[in-house]
Amino acid sequence: MADIKAGHLVARYLKEVEKIDMVFGISGGHIESILDGFTEYSIRTIDVRHEQAAAMMAHAYSVYTGRPGVCFLTAGPGFTNGLTGIANAYLDNVPLVVLCGRHPLRDDLKGALQEMNQIDMVKPITKWAATCYDARRIPEYMAIAFRNATAGRPGPVFLELPPDILNITIPEESAPMPIKVARNYAVVPADEELEAAAEIINGAKKPLFLGGTGVGFSACSDRLGEFVEKTGIPFMLLNYGRGELPDTHPLSIWDCGNVGLLVTLGQADVIVAAGLRFNWLFMSGDVIPGGAKVVRIDIDPREIDRNRRADAGLVGDVGSVLGRLMPLVEKKDHGEWVRTLRAASHAFIDSELKARVAPSDPIHPIRLVAKIQEVVGEDALYVIDGGDTSYFGQVGLFTREKAGVIGSASGLLGCLGTGIPFGIAAKLARPDKPVVVLNGDGSFGFNSMEFDTMVRHNIPVVVVVNNDCAWGMIKHSQEMSIGGDRLQCSELGIRRYDLMVEGLGGHGEFVTKDEEIVPALKRALESGKPACVNVMTDPSVTSPATPLFYQSLKME
Amino acid sequence: MKFSLLLFILYRKLKKAVKTNRAYRSHIGTVQLKILIKTADGKRGRLFIFDRGVLSTLTGGGHAADAALVWSDAATAFRVMASGSDEESFKAAAEGGLRVEGMAYYIQWFTDGIKLVMK
Repeated sequence: MADIKAGHLVARYLKEVEKIDMVFGISGGHIESILDGFTEYSIRTIDVRHEQAAAMMAHAYSVYTGRPGVCFLTAGPGFTNGLTGIANAYLDNVPLVVLCGRHPLRDDLKGALQEMNQIDMVKPITKWAATCYDARRIPEYMAIAFRNATAGRPGPVFLELPPDILNITIPEESAPMPIKVARNYAVVPADEELEAAAEIINGAKKPLFLGGTGVGFSACSDRLGEFVEKTGIPFMLLNYGRGELPDTHPLSIWDCGNVGLLVTLGQADVIVAAGLRFNWLFMSGDVIPGGAKVVRIDIDPREIDRNRRADAGLVGDVGSVLGRLMPLVEKKDHGEWVRTLRAASHAFIDSELKARVAPSDPIHPIRLVAKIQEVVGEDALYVIDGGDTSYFGQVGLFTREKAGVIGSASGLLGCLGTGIPFGIAAKLARPDKPVVVLNGDGSFGFNSMEFDTMVRHNIPVVVVVNNDCAWGMIKHSQEMSIGGDRLQCSELGIRRYDLMVEGLGGHGEFVTKDEEIVPALKRALESGKPACVNVMTDPSVTSPATPLFYQSLKME
Repeated sequence: MKFSLLLFILYRKLKKAVKTNRAYRSHIGTVQLKILIKTADGKRGRLFIFDRGVLSTLTGGGHAADAALVWSDAATAFRVMASGSDEESFKAAAEGGLRVEGMAYYIQWFTDGIKLVMK
């Protein structure tokens, strides 16, 4: 029988059992045998410039493909660098498989290079974390890791693989590949809860459907479409649920923006929340009027009554639950309610709507966003990363694509710097689509060295920098809290990020005037290279998200 | 006339609250904002100036502001504002009787403050 280098078992499992074709990380001595396995089993590696970017790319790759993303980290600083990305996946409930090196078991407590207790550090931000101590059990541990990442509410898992087991050769038959079994099972809501939910929905006069990441991971476009069309319920899809139905669907209220959402929430009599947490962005449920009835759908029963008691709680996968609700709900037309909420919302964002169509000097961020939309269109993937930038991008960009508009920094971790890694993953997952990242200038700084990754791997993402020369959301918050004359650590300078990207081998554009935006974007897209369009925008503009952020931290 | 009087009374109530209502004082904090409430023709209105815990005012609808609540006419403004109802405001906005200039959140902040005072 043939022998196998035990480190190769990792790649063999990924390829043969999970059908993984791409992984993200940085090389390192502790994981060399794993790396060689990637070569052996023809798994494409995207080697990055900082491990946090690798974790973020793998996270995003799972969002765009619907399959768990995989990253590899070397021991010590490779591990600690990856922690931010792992924490982000944990708070976003994203299936991420992290494979990590560690110091040799043989050298425990001897002062080995990069000796530290990684497991205890990573446990609070993973669903499952373990060390494999036996080369023969590597495939088994890999299977457990993947099961934990995807079962129930998804999340990141961490598997630590010491050199003692990676760097030995064992007989192949001693480490058989597990057979992946696709079990057909489902968590099903109770009949009385389904009936209660249907009664509430059928009796609604001013309903609203909110879908979150649970909608995205359910991949339930068809059922969701049938549900909203039968019930006539206007909807907004958020987080990784966005794009499961097109933003331009007649019942989607994304044209009303976040302000419209808050205004509408205040008037709705029934709210159906699916795969969505009532977290700080919903003021932990306080934005939902006391008199409104709430139907919650969630894969995790602990979410059903969290921050707001549900009038009906449906535990299960969103698509599956909607399928069970369909026969119970009545066909309705809420056209008048939709027209009313749309007109009211537009009245509240009147200035913003006007700013989109009027040339501005200095350039208003929403004007920049409107121009990106005009040039790139709805058949594209957008990633938005920043503070105020996130607001303008999310309300002003529309697509027909699944996960077409992702506010990568708008999750619970509020993790600036995610934009470029997410953009790279988007392009790798869907190479036929244009990918545009809208970055704040502050957030651009975190992972902009990944332009080198894009150049080396020929990943032509266009990054537009909304450059207000500041950590804008912080700066404007400080103006409200401590005063504009006492700004601290919130201002940046005029920087030629476009030249930096040119120096790395990409395409650069510098824009200071309204009329320059469209030609610059077109040149960047046509360059076929990773590109940076550095746009100087009005530093005085504040988004509605800023005062919300400021208020959320006010304690007296 | 009734609209202008309502705005004056509102100012007096808020001014008093700045001194006597701890919750309202906390709400306005050190914020520096100018909120204008006016009719669309600009003939009637009042500017509320919040400057680090101090409230002052100017009459008239022609002032520059961070955000403005713009009513189609004084009668609608009086009817809806006197009702104190979010639903009435929502309906007025939907029917063209009300729109926001500038950032809607500032108006929300302003009206949240009013609710604190009227509680």
